[in-house]
Amino acid sequence: MSLWEFIEGRYDDLLQAGFDHIWLVGLSVLLCTVIGVGLGVATYQTNRPREIVLAVTSTFLTVPSFALFVLLIPPLGIGAPPVILALTMYGLLPVVRNTITGLREVDPSIVESAKGMGLGRAQRLTKIELPLAWPVIVTGVRVSALILVGIATIGAIVDGPGYGEFIFNGLARVGSPVAVNLVLAGMIGVIVVAIIFDVFFAVIAKLTTSRGIR
Amino acid sequence: MTNFGTVDGTAGRIMIRLENLRKEYPKEPKPAVDDLTLEIPEGEIVILVGPSGCGKTTTMKMINRIIEPTSGRIVVDDKDVTHEDPDQLRRRIGYVIQQIGLFPHQTIAENIATVPKLLGWDAKRIDARIDELLETVSMSPATYRNRYPKQLSGGQRQRVGVARALSGDPAVMLMDEPFGAIDPITRDRLQNEFLRLQAEVRKTIVFVTHDIDEAIKMGDRIAILEEGSRIAQYDTPEQILTAPASDFVADFIGAGASLKRLNLSRVRDIQLTEWPTVARNADGAAVLDALRASDKGCALVLDEQRRPCRWVSAADVQRGDGRAIDEIGLPPDAVVEPQATLNDALNELITANYSVAIVVDAAGVYQGIVDIDHINEAIRGMRTAARAKARAGLVEDRDEDLLTKGTTT
Amino acid sequence: MTTSTEQSLGAEATAPEMGMAPIRREHRTVASYLLMPVFLALVCLGLYLYVQSKELDTIEQRALNASRLGTAGWEHVQLTIVSTIFVILIAIPLGVFLTRPFTRRFRGVLLTVANIGQALPTIGVLALFAVAFVFIGFKAAIVGLVAYTVLPVLRNTMVGLQQVDENVLEAGRGMGISKMGVLTRIELPLAVPIILAGVRTALVINVGTAALATYINAGGLGDIIVAGLSTNRLTVQITGAVLTAVLALLVDYLAGIAEDVLRPKGL
Repeated sequence: MSLWEFIEGRYDDLLQAGFDHIWLVGLSVLLCTVIGVGLGVATYQTNRPREIVLAVTSTFLTVPSFALFVLLIPPLGIGAPPVILALTMYGLLPVVRNTITGLREVDPSIVESAKGMGLGRAQRLTKIELPLAWPVIVTGVRVSALILVGIATIGAIVDGPGYGEFIFNGLARVGSPVAVNLVLAGMIGVIVVAIIFDVFFAVIAKLTTSRGIR
Repeated sequence: MTNFGTVDGTAGRIMIRLENLRKEYPKEPKPAVDDLTLEIPEGEIVILVGPSGCGKTTTMKMINRIIEPTSGRIVVDDKDVTHEDPDQLRRRIGYVIQQIGLFPHQTIAENIATVPKLLGWDAKRIDARIDELLETVSMSPATYRNRYPKQLSGGQRQRVGVARALSGDPAVMLMDEPFGAIDPITRDRLQNEFLRLQAEVRKTIVFVTHDIDEAIKMGDRIAILEEGSRIAQYDTPEQILTAPASDFVADFIGAGASLKRLNLSRVRDIQLTEWPTVARNADGAAVLDALRASDKGCALVLDEQRRPCRWVSAADVQRGDGRAIDEIGLPPDAVVEPQATLNDALNELITANYSVAIVVDAAGVYQGIVDIDHINEAIRGMRTAARAKARAGLVEDRDEDLLTKGTTT
Repeated sequence: MTTSTEQSLGAEATAPEMGMAPIRREHRTVASYLLMPVFLALVCLGLYLYVQSKELDTIEQRALNASRLGTAGWEHVQLTIVSTIFVILIAIPLGVFLTRPFTRRFRGVLLTVANIGQALPTIGVLALFAVAFVFIGFKAAIVGLVAYTVLPVLRNTMVGLQQVDENVLEAGRGMGISKMGVLTRIELPLAVPIILAGVRTALVINVGTAALATYINAGGLGDIIVAGLSTNRLTVQITGAVLTAVLALLVDYLAGIAEDVLRPKGL
């Protein structure tokens, strides 16, 4: 059976896995963005907390995904919940890091002139600093999404939905003719999802960045 | 030691009063600002000038409390603002810094609208204000309203910075080396434009610079500061140049004090020279007639609104062979406005074709001519005055080192 | 403000993945050097006490004896180290080669491919070799790991060499240093921090992916986790997972120290 015939035959399953993969990653990226930008905003002006947040989130990313998924079984069981929590932990570093860098790169003279004009702390943050740091933050979110698309595949080990299922099913059938098709279809699916996220965030970045700083 | 800078009764009402203002930083043995008391009269440009690290910027930034004073009182417009909500205070004080700090993600209009929005003005009023301010700083609203800062030149950004600082119609403006990052030629032009603007709006301005020439040119009153923001002298530019209060002040003014006075006299203060002029629609014969009637080598051609459009000499008319007189000769260069200083005029006329500067009003209408004789006369007058002062010192006290200072200047 | 393209090609100090904005790391104190080993020791102690407190059945006893754990751990270390050595041997010379002037035309395409390649899931690369060629075992795992992690090291080598200031190179050539001399004495030393960051990235990916090598019969600590999963023994799963995580953090920690030591002084 050719790959094409395989894909035709399992079209519905593949499409469903695609949707699952997208919502799983999408939800995790959303959580990462909210938590990551929050942590970045809370710590970018201070040295100690900033270093701690960066050290902890980069430690998250060092823990092998296989190990983390398994460790989350006792508290969260199997399926989507442990995968979403793990993905959120993995996606934090790029968002936090770019939020901090973006905010710290804002020209201090711009912030000072905003202060001199009577914008309060919250107004400076929301009207000046975050919009100026935004392109860097979006890049962080985009990187985070790409990393998570790959890692979500491993989630199949704890019965997480998405294309990982196809790859692990293929692995379990090494030597049988369908194995190659399963793995290839899974890989192609992952690549398509990665491209969808990449294009989505490229468009978002373009739409939400002021023309004045492009 | 007292550290007072007060003004005499001839000045207007006091708009800003700093009382025993002090700023100490932890880990630094000496205070950055040491018990400073300073009065700033309404409607004047007061310059804080001094060597780097003297505390002038710190002093200025305590007025809008970007830097909080360690002790002392700040009174603005008869109100103690030392403990007022700093954001509310800053909305009433215009602020221009050297880097200008325009918001790059906002259009020029949005930049200017910042403070009016904070003050809760309605959209119509804000819109009108943006146009008005852009006109004031000579930038066409239609062209520039929707541009972003990165699309402007350095000089235009500076103008927008000033417009933005004026947007909430503050009574007080703080300017920290506002022309510091701009090339010398543009800087001269912007300084003159700013002085013209100030003549209209009459704001109370605290202006920080390290450049004594800029201080003399821009200031109604100058505070020369030493380390710890100690006032070495607080007086008008004329008085500071004529009677430096200490060696520190004399050193800071530097050599050539009498030439610096060219910065104090303005073109509008002197009698302009008459010059032969002809209308643009006249012919070559009219030019020759006008030249015969005077002792000058060339005539100035004016257009219908009496704006200079051409220099034409007798030789040009002959070579021109009957062509219209606004097509022959040379374009008018070295054009200055009445509020330009004699120093500006001198700089212009040195490089001009006929070694004279043309004076025009704000609308570009011809007023008269400044030539090198005017400048010479002014310098001669200043030297006489300086010499008289030096000799006066000779009579009063032979050991006074004012003697050597006076004769070398 | 840097643009997104610069961001995604930009060199980052320690980011284990592409495209993260660089943050200059402050000098580490002795205390911060001790933090991670102490933390890992405490985790191991906690794991030991946890397992000790359980009544182990025969399956668990078989899975959790010292020699079995030792073998799995050693296999894991071998997978990580051998694959990383191959990656260094392949990617750095290739990176040097691809930054020589005559390759300028296809360099951009190559970097793009290197970037996209990293979006692929690691398990997919391992699985593809296994199912396509029925190639399993230790060697197959090494091939899969190397194929995947060549990319970050190659990319960082190229970026590292390209970001060396042209003026410095010209000054070097101006002093009469040969092309080879410029490469070995100026370009490579200046690129070392970024290349090292790439190698550390490769190490971290390798140690993590090696946990999945069990799925192609290549051993490693993944064996323990899978044994626990397939027999539904929580204690075994947790022991395998914790040991895997501890090993990964230890490898990253050691790589971080190596990075600090090997980085040329003054950079």
